[in-house]
Amino acid sequence: MHLVRDLLDKLVVDRHGREIGRADAVIVDIRPDAPPRVSAIEIGPAVLAYRVAPIFGRWMAGVEHALGIAEGRPLRIPFGDILDTRDRIKVDRAAGETVAAALEHRLRKWVAAIPGS
Amino acid sequence: MNAILDLVLGVITSIGGFVEVGSISTSAQAGSEFGFQLLWAILIAALMLAMLTEMAGRFATVSRRSLIAAVRERFGIHFQAVPLAAELLIDVLLLAAEIGGAAIAVRLLTGVSFLWWILPIGLAVWLVLWLCGFSVIEYGVGLLGLVTLSFVVAAWKLGPDAGDVARGLLPSFADDDRTRYAFLAVSIMGATVSPYLLNFYSSGTIEEKLTEKELWINKTTAYLGVAFGSVVSMGVLVTAAMVLQPRHIIVNSYEQAALMFVPTFERWAIPLFALALGIGCFGAAVEITINAGYACSQALGWSWGANKPRREAARFAFAFTFVLLAALAVAMTSVDPLRLTMISVALTVVVMPAVVLPFLVLMNDEKFVQDHKSGPIGNGILAVVTILAGLLALVVVPLEILGG
Repeated sequence: MHLVRDLLDKLVVDRHGREIGRADAVIVDIRPDAPPRVSAIEIGPAVLAYRVAPIFGRWMAGVEHALGIAEGRPLRIPFGDILDTRDRIKVDRAAGETVAAALEHRLRKWVAAIPGS
Repeated sequence: MNAILDLVLGVITSIGGFVEVGSISTSAQAGSEFGFQLLWAILIAALMLAMLTEMAGRFATVSRRSLIAAVRERFGIHFQAVPLAAELLIDVLLLAAEIGGAAIAVRLLTGVSFLWWILPIGLAVWLVLWLCGFSVIEYGVGLLGLVTLSFVVAAWKLGPDAGDVARGLLPSFADDDRTRYAFLAVSIMGATVSPYLLNFYSSGTIEEKLTEKELWINKTTAYLGVAFGSVVSMGVLVTAAMVLQPRHIIVNSYEQAALMFVPTFERWAIPLFALALGIGCFGAAVEITINAGYACSQALGWSWGANKPRREAARFAFAFTFVLLAALAVAMTSVDPLRLTMISVALTVVVMPAVVLPFLVLMNDEKFVQDHKSGPIGNGILAVVTILAGLLALVVVPLEILGG
């Protein structure tokens, strides 16, 4: 597996095929007496923004904090919970139960209040 | 039978959706200042657009990914961040220009200042997007947009000399004011090959669940739709050339552009021009707004789709609403919509290489397009288009300063 080609930036879906986000970061454990090991992928705008420029990452983390959705973010999914990586990264999670959906849930309350939604 | 219906509707909506604030203003300015001389720019831009549209549709059909999603996945966020931010900025500016154009159209009909119409038009755009599915958005906008065929009718009735028109289709240099001429040629390219059109088209292909067996529909729609659509743009240029240039009327505002209909439609000229401008701009505003939602959602991996209930894709709904509000804020500053259009078009040309270049890679990546890769001829033309886009991006800012 090529980490950049097959994991990073790829769409992540839950076990039912619903979008969770994209693999914004890949976490690799550096071990002193063993080869590096991929331990998890991370999903979250602050992680993504940090990759573009650290200052954007800090700014985005501040925005998440201000919106009250910072707790538990970014979403970290252990490598062992990845079910498939061929077309999309399928993980053994339910999208609605992850912290990645915090903003969606927050906005949904407002959207659902508007007729026709 | 359904496939034929889809094809016919696709081509008709492509024609109806082709002309908007950018193509009307650049073609009208080109015709009023240089006669038929810049017809070739529309022709070349249309060929580029048709080819890229077909590729965008083929790519989306086979890979089940929109362009923006694929660029994020294949090239990563470092490549995508700046072009995506630029595209969203262009979306906001162009959307403000489209809403401004539609508001001026209503002013031509009512006489009430265009600023009063910006918020109601913004609300109408939002309501269409909130309440309608993709087919209604695409076909409704496209069918109403057929009123823009009045530009073709006007050009036809004015009876241009076929030889002069044919000569205009061949690239040439202007005898004087070459900087302005080059600026308008580049602006026509920018107004025609808009990034939003390509991502909107690829997203629409996914929304409509086109299959690999229906790729011929995609190809025919892309080429025929753009071909007929470009005839409408040419109609604007020819009409402006025949009516405005002999009277030395330079198009500095849409009100002046409206005069091009007077010899043909007489007392119906202004209402008809207003309808063509208004519906063209309104349709484009709807498409740009929803494309902004697509772009944000696809880049970040959110749930998206005009056919999904808005509450099931709340971030997508919020994203397009936010971009619409930003555009309304720009439009409400009473900035001249024509000026805004020309700035948006120039910015589009600046980011064009970043839009075109990924096609060269994506259309040859078997992981995405399997055995539907581009052939040597397609790749060759695409390479030329990419180089051309790079050259245009280099010259557009100096040309905007010197000839804009």
